[in-house]
Amino acid sequence: MSEPRRAALPLLDHILETARRAQMLSVAVAVHDYASEVQFAYGAARVFHAASTIKLAVLLALLKAAEDGRVRLGERLHVRNRFQSQADGTPFFLQADRDGDPDLYKAVGRTASLHALAETMIVRSSNLATNLLIEHLGVATIAAVLAEAGLDALRCLRGVEDEAAFSQGLNNQVTAEGLLKLFRALHEAKSLRPESRDRFFEILLQQRFNGMIPAGLPESAKARVAHKTGEISTVCHDAGMVFLPGRAPYILVVLTEYASGGATAPRNRAVASISGAVFAFLKDAADLHLAAPTP
Amino acid sequence: MNTARDLPVVDGLKLSAEVRGLLRPGEATADRAGRVHRLPRFFYEVRSWSLAKELLLTPHLHLSELLVVDCREAPRLLEEFPHYVPCAVTLLARFVEDLRVRAGASVYVAANGGYRSPAHALSAHADPHQWACAADVYRIGDTFLNTQAAIEKYGALAREIASEANVLPYGHLPGECDDHLHIDLGYVRLVPAACDESGEI
Repeated sequence: MSEPRRAALPLLDHILETARRAQMLSVAVAVHDYASEVQFAYGAARVFHAASTIKLAVLLALLKAAEDGRVRLGERLHVRNRFQSQADGTPFFLQADRDGDPDLYKAVGRTASLHALAETMIVRSSNLATNLLIEHLGVATIAAVLAEAGLDALRCLRGVEDEAAFSQGLNNQVTAEGLLKLFRALHEAKSLRPESRDRFFEILLQQRFNGMIPAGLPESAKARVAHKTGEISTVCHDAGMVFLPGRAPYILVVLTEYASGGATAPRNRAVASISGAVFAFLKDAADLHLAAPTP
Repeated sequence: MNTARDLPVVDGLKLSAEVRGLLRPGEATADRAGRVHRLPRFFYEVRSWSLAKELLLTPHLHLSELLVVDCREAPRLLEEFPHYVPCAVTLLARFVEDLRVRAGASVYVAANGGYRSPAHALSAHADPHQWACAADVYRIGDTFLNTQAAIEKYGALAREIASEANVLPYGHLPGECDDHLHIDLGYVRLVPAACDESGEI
């Protein structure tokens, strides 16, 4: 066994033990460290319900559309809580009390800028903003942007709470590998130009739901995390980029699946624990120069 | 400038070719059922958004409340001034004011729910919004009109105000509403007395 593989075994043990204790049905972890070039993947090709992590794909598609001149981020959109199912066109409505950002419902009937909708979609995980943007861009456009970026593992087929589509098996899906690839494509400015890439990360850095990846990092690390969580009754995810002072960043994706009906806090803590273990692993990897290039 | 009386009235046929192409003054256009109607020819010229926000069409309704559109409006009409609104907007405003009095509460017209031009993305067919003769009311007082009970209650009130008021029924199909109350006065083309209707259309 190679040295990097051997060094990763404690991390793998930690992930599996965390999964066992938290009674996860499945777990996937993907890591890419720009400082050490270390990569780690466990279950990274496994397909999960995307939950709110799909909002990363919507943001990518929006910024791409802005780059291409098909939309302008300053233009305003009617805030309307009425959507048509991607399955059969039947109307559906979102409930403010089930949304990460109930405040946007106060703007129903008025307008909001695309940029403001993008921000609340990510920062407060607004389902209403997400559906407005998906409807405005179109699922076909989002799919085309993902395909063009080579992100075939990410599937955005419908808006949030589209029950008719859900009942027909139309679900938004991600893999840990796919989300990692999205962050790599963005960081390396392969999918968007640098100014759009910077806007993407600026929005993600404002994230309000910080109970997972950021919560697992030691305060002394002074990390800034550009990330997006995703939680429904059966999944609990976090995917993002960890920026540390004086060091290149790393990407971490943790996707977890559970039986329906458990409490949120222990699930968040489990992801945070994996985040902490990844941080420690990468710190050691950097110290050991595991992936040091051959002179 | 305090009332619509102070706004300049323009003949749409004398506007620039670009604006004429968007407003299509006097042109015939068909509604969803294939019935043909002539678009309005005479417009109020609105020189700035601040003016629209200050100008009261009725004791409680500002012109701006019937002009809010989103990015589905043609960029020239959305972003550049002057804006043009068919003269019948004053009739619509009076109707909305009457509804306010009857309801005893403020009436809120949705974005894209007052005047929208024939170039607006939602204007695939002729509809009274392009005549400034329709209002999509999403809220009255604290009541959001997104239930059958609320839409039917205020729809009945609107019908009582004027026999020409057309109210779309509650429902999920085209020609029905489930998240607002659509009220229109039909296809009214208001020609101010000082205007001359001669000239080619």
